[in-house]
Amino acid sequence: MQVSRRQFLSLLGASSAAVVAGLPLKSFALPAGAMKVIWLQGAGCTGCSVSFLNRIAPTAPHSVDEVLLDIVELSFHTTVMAAAGDQAVSAAEAVYAQGGYLLVVEGGVPTAFGGATCWAWTRNGVDVTFKDVVTRYASKAAGIVCVGNCSSFGGIPAAPPNPTGVKSVRAATGKKTINIPGCPAHPDWLIWVIAQTLAGANIALDVLGRPIELYGTTVHDQCWRNGMEHATEFGQDNLCLLGLGCKGPETYAPCPVSMWNGSANWCVDANAPCIGCTEPTFPIGRPVSVPAGGGDDEDDDHEDEDDDERRNER
Amino acid sequence: MATVKVLDPISRIEGHLKIEVSIDTVRGLQQVVDARATGTLFRGFETILQGRSPLDAPDITQRICGVCPVSHGMAAVVTLDRAAGIAVPENGRILRNLVLAANFIQSHILHFYHLAALDYVDGPNQAPWQPSWKTDKRVSGAAANALVGNYVAALAMRRKAHEMGALFGGRLPHPPTYRAGGITATPRPERIDAYRAYLNELIPFIQNVYLNDVNTVASVYSDYFRIGKGHGNLLAYGVFDLDSTGEEKLLNRGRWVNGRRDVLRVDVGSITEQVRYSWYDDRTANLNPASGVTTPQYPKRGAYSWLKSPRYQSIPYEVGPLARMWVNGDYSNGISVLDRHAARALECLKVAEAAMGWLDEIVPDAPVIAPYEVPDSASAYGLTEAARGALGHWLNIRNGRIENYQVITPTCWNASPRDGNGRRGPLEQALVGTPIKNQAEPIEVLRVIHSFDPCLSCAVHVMRPKKEAQVFTVAMGSGPAACRP
Ligand code: SF4
Ligand code: SF4
Repeated sequence: MQVSRRQFLSLLGASSAAVVAGLPLKSFALPAGAMKVIWLQGAGCTGCSVSFLNRIAPTAPHSVDEVLLDIVELSFHTTVMAAAGDQAVSAAEAVYAQGGYLLVVEGGVPTAFGGATCWAWTRNGVDVTFKDVVTRYASKAAGIVCVGNCSSFGGIPAAPPNPTGVKSVRAATGKKTINIPGCPAHPDWLIWVIAQTLAGANIALDVLGRPIELYGTTVHDQCWRNGMEHATEFGQDNLCLLGLGCKGPETYAPCPVSMWNGSANWCVDANAPCIGCTEPTFPIGRPVSVPAGGGDDEDDDHEDEDDDERRNER
Repeated sequence: MATVKVLDPISRIEGHLKIEVSIDTVRGLQQVVDARATGTLFRGFETILQGRSPLDAPDITQRICGVCPVSHGMAAVVTLDRAAGIAVPENGRILRNLVLAANFIQSHILHFYHLAALDYVDGPNQAPWQPSWKTDKRVSGAAANALVGNYVAALAMRRKAHEMGALFGGRLPHPPTYRAGGITATPRPERIDAYRAYLNELIPFIQNVYLNDVNTVASVYSDYFRIGKGHGNLLAYGVFDLDSTGEEKLLNRGRWVNGRRDVLRVDVGSITEQVRYSWYDDRTANLNPASGVTTPQYPKRGAYSWLKSPRYQSIPYEVGPLARMWVNGDYSNGISVLDRHAARALECLKVAEAAMGWLDEIVPDAPVIAPYEVPDSASAYGLTEAARGALGHWLNIRNGRIENYQVITPTCWNASPRDGNGRRGPLEQALVGTPIKNQAEPIEVLRVIHSFDPCLSCAVHVMRPKKEAQVFTVAMGSGPAACRP
């Protein structure tokens, strides 16, 4: 069966308005006018893709189906696309040949073993590493968006001793990237960046490649529990979690404002300390979680310098 | 002469998988005569864990997989609880179960509609639903319209299931609330009400839409009740503890051997991992995960996967919803592509209905977490289930730090390569005998693969553990000696 896009929408009563957070978008009539997106997955967990599916907002695109039907043409994304094998690879290659697509990368770029710990696909009987595909596809992209901590900074796969030599997309390709870290990234952050890109806006980035509009303030400075009494043990509501190891003061992210899962909750409001998942230091050289009553434990202090080094390397 | 067909990437799964099938005509029927499954991603998670605080394990292991992070969180906290001999407060047990239940529901819905359905019906006329193979799409007309419409309705339903889980998980995927000793979130009354309201939407969807759509597919593809059986051995560790001892679970532990009548007990010590066809050093073969070693060796002659081959008493076992429902006596129709889908949908309903009951067991204002102190040295394991099958974590603590951490994921069982005896992994075996209409578009291969709901990010293993890693024998501490047949 084939339904046209219009039939498909009317089946569902879905809206096709193309306004994101008050930002006027050009009219995107699919399939002809839409920005083509190639979404590659490397050394990651697919969590950012799953998070992307969780989009829900009062303004269009309200949910992920609207993003896919009205905003972008998602030409390649192995978790959702119908095609497999050669047909899938050909779809990506056709878009690559034209150039000018938006490249979204999820997952870091393994470089050990010649990149053989992560293959993208087989083409003409030859196994192609993710490293090769990212490098090649980055060269003809109109823009590169790194979704999640792994593609932005290396993330957990790059944590010491970085067994597979994982690098950020920036370090692996030498290209400028827009980084949307988070483990996973929040769907609204990604969609905000896509909308700005489509509107041709110039996105101001911090030194780590993160949009300042999204990552300009610490979690702590926006936190509802700022100024409240300090919790001394886990499982207590409405107390500041600083004494339990909260990394809110050193973590730049809008979580207290964007919240998570359609504003159902967010880390601190579930009494879970921020673990700093939008930072390049996540989860390097220090515990991501600490015992009640403690800060970073002593053993890890000496590793702080390593942190800085790694941060610079990436 | 058989034709070898390489399918890479396999799409609509989690992670990286390459499948190679040999297709030939046997007794007049063109079919798969051999198959090889290759896990094409390796990250070395367990090495990353070495030397860290054991308290990091829940947060780090969740990142093994963004589709089943809650199960890794659960396996890690259960392992830590057991390492310290901690009793988790009742509310902690219940809230952990509720977050996990929410993720089971979202994962099962996602799997049927967004990963599997496009093998049976053609989607909208644009990317990412096109291009697609047109061979043998039998759901057509009004039924197809309805199924594609429900594809979108299901996007909202799985999202809501995640919102429901975030009420006590903090956020999904990767909930930060799972901690040794319990959970950090409290059962605030308004959150219990919100969870109930979500269930009141999800349960009718599962009953009236999801189950109905599985029936629709089953009615036009009834031949798939005879395709994709595989070895026919089923294994479940069990999940959703119903009391603080963990002895009674919503889905109990058990094992089924093809052709036998009774459900058998599971002895954790009988699990070993083989590496003959995996890119790991042969000297690390046949170890129990409690003393597991993983030394990558690439290239290696004859090897073709980053997945090891977990075996139980050297025998391959299939894990997943069908295995769970089967060993619990909830499903007994058969083992096939469609039986996997049917058992998964029925399990989705069973879990959602059970979660409704758990909400009433929450004790207001009672503790959710017990104080936890990391033991100086300990060995423990934690067994649970991910949506796609049995999941185990094994931990050694030395000087208060992680000395060794091993994970065996469900997809390692299902998508494993051949073992030391040359026996195919469950998915490979299930592919053999699958009829192929059109060699250029072997959609039948995708149907068999997708019925297992593979999750390849789980191709993770430890490397270079300390030499003095101790071997210890694990006795079955809990779980029924014999489950219901
Ligand atoms: S809970 Fe964390 S982010 Fe919030 S005020 Fe306290 S330290 Fe800052
Ligand atoms: S609050 Fe902190 S740990 Fe939680 S999502 Fe935001 S940045 Fe990540």
